[in-house]
Amino acid sequence: MLVLWGNPQNSGICVSCFLENSAGALGLHDNPRMQYLRPELVGFVLGAVVAAFLGREFKSRGGSAPLPRLFAGIFLIVGCAVFIGCPIKMFFRFMAGDLTTLSGIAGLVIGVWLGLKGLAAGVHIGGSKQKPDGAGIWVPLGFLLLLAFILWPPGFILQSTRGSAAQSAPVLIALAVGLFLGVLAQRSRFCVTGSIRDGLLMGYRAPLFWGFLIFLVSGLVTSLATGQFHLGFYGQPGAHLDMLWGFLGMLLVGLISVLLGGCPFRQLIKSGEGDADAGLIVIGMFIGAGLVQSWQIAGTTAGVGLYGKVAVMVGLIFVLGNMLFYRERIG
Amino acid sequence: MARRDRFDILTGGGLLVCVLAVVFLLMVGQEKNTSAAALDKAMEQQIAYQARIEFLHNLYQPVEDLRLAGQASEALLKLDELARHYPQEAHGEILQAEILLERGAIKESIDHYVRAVRLNGDYVDKASPLTRRSGIQQLVDLRLPEFAARTRKNPQSLALQNTLTGLYYLQSRLSGGCE
Repeated sequence: MLVLWGNPQNSGICVSCFLENSAGALGLHDNPRMQYLRPELVGFVLGAVVAAFLGREFKSRGGSAPLPRLFAGIFLIVGCAVFIGCPIKMFFRFMAGDLTTLSGIAGLVIGVWLGLKGLAAGVHIGGSKQKPDGAGIWVPLGFLLLLAFILWPPGFILQSTRGSAAQSAPVLIALAVGLFLGVLAQRSRFCVTGSIRDGLLMGYRAPLFWGFLIFLVSGLVTSLATGQFHLGFYGQPGAHLDMLWGFLGMLLVGLISVLLGGCPFRQLIKSGEGDADAGLIVIGMFIGAGLVQSWQIAGTTAGVGLYGKVAVMVGLIFVLGNMLFYRERIG
Repeated sequence: MARRDRFDILTGGGLLVCVLAVVFLLMVGQEKNTSAAALDKAMEQQIAYQARIEFLHNLYQPVEDLRLAGQASEALLKLDELARHYPQEAHGEILQAEILLERGAIKESIDHYVRAVRLNGDYVDKASPLTRRSGIQQLVDLRLPEFAARTRKNPQSLALQNTLTGLYYLQSRLSGGCE
């Protein structure tokens, strides 16, 4: 629906695209076609804050492996940007008939599966501990500041007048949709990689898996009803045919998401619940969003450039290395 | 909950003063902000973009003039000359694509359109002053079925495959998406 209201094609919701746009608006990169402070992004986090407070689930917690989490956030966005889209967008693209996403879906599922193998083998990045202090409020406060920037934009906020960042749903509608989805996601614990993980572990008995299936079906119905369904490999919006790199990018995202407890969207929601560990990943994602544009890491319709390929490999080295460092061995 | 001592009261008081100061600064400080004039980055960006368009217009005006006078070969020579000075400039590529298309060199024209759009996505934007969207859309609608059929008949032809890939690229960019 957000696409009908003005968002770019196939990008009704895309956490990585929204982060790249927002990072550009804050001056973290200089691509003039990708600068817009997306209200949906702010809505996701603040919606989660509201839902967590109302449900008495807002708890400051965190304190484990801060630097690996920060870097993991950067590499989450590297994987998404090389593929062109976060896991949510990937499935929306698939439901709109984009068959180039098949490689990414395979990569994500295999990444989740490898992550599960790692967890089973004793890889443990560290658990969050409840904190009596206010560690969990800083990321929500940061997003409150971003809300103020949206409503009363200061002179240093950039806004594209052309390119995909110039396409957007009206601010208040986008904000309302973001808030609604933030509330919904906080209450339901919706997570794309979490759903795949639960599906692999428990099959059809996993509630998250059923929620995910409903998400897919509603995506398909909306695509068909609004005439946005175009089946095929070619001519798809914001897609490339570098299948191997799409696969590896999403493998990186799946692997990191399982080891750190959630896809990029879930990390935003958790940061709104007071999880400072997730908050650090969100900050990493913002840094990553700036870097993928500044360093030409992000994939384009023309394909994935050299720096994108190198960044994905460095990301895999990072995550595999951490799997060795953080493995708890018995005996 | 532990009883608040003097340290808590002083720190809390300091915190309150700072919060009030920020609110005060934001409410009344805007007009006196000496750096505000130089900080409208969005406008600066817009001015730079308009200047760039003006520069491109002036730079490539001789090519446009030659093209309008029907001197396509001279226009292409002029473009070659400009390309030596500005090798990464997409506008030269787009003009070359248009001239080649007018002369019936379809394959070469598609190659130049692809290069231009890769260098600068403004040419497929609806809102951009540089837009060539309708021309590119027409080219894709007309030539894509033709080149797809020709490639099916000659699957060994690398040149045909490259052109078809270029057309698919243009089709994809016309579809939109986030990049």
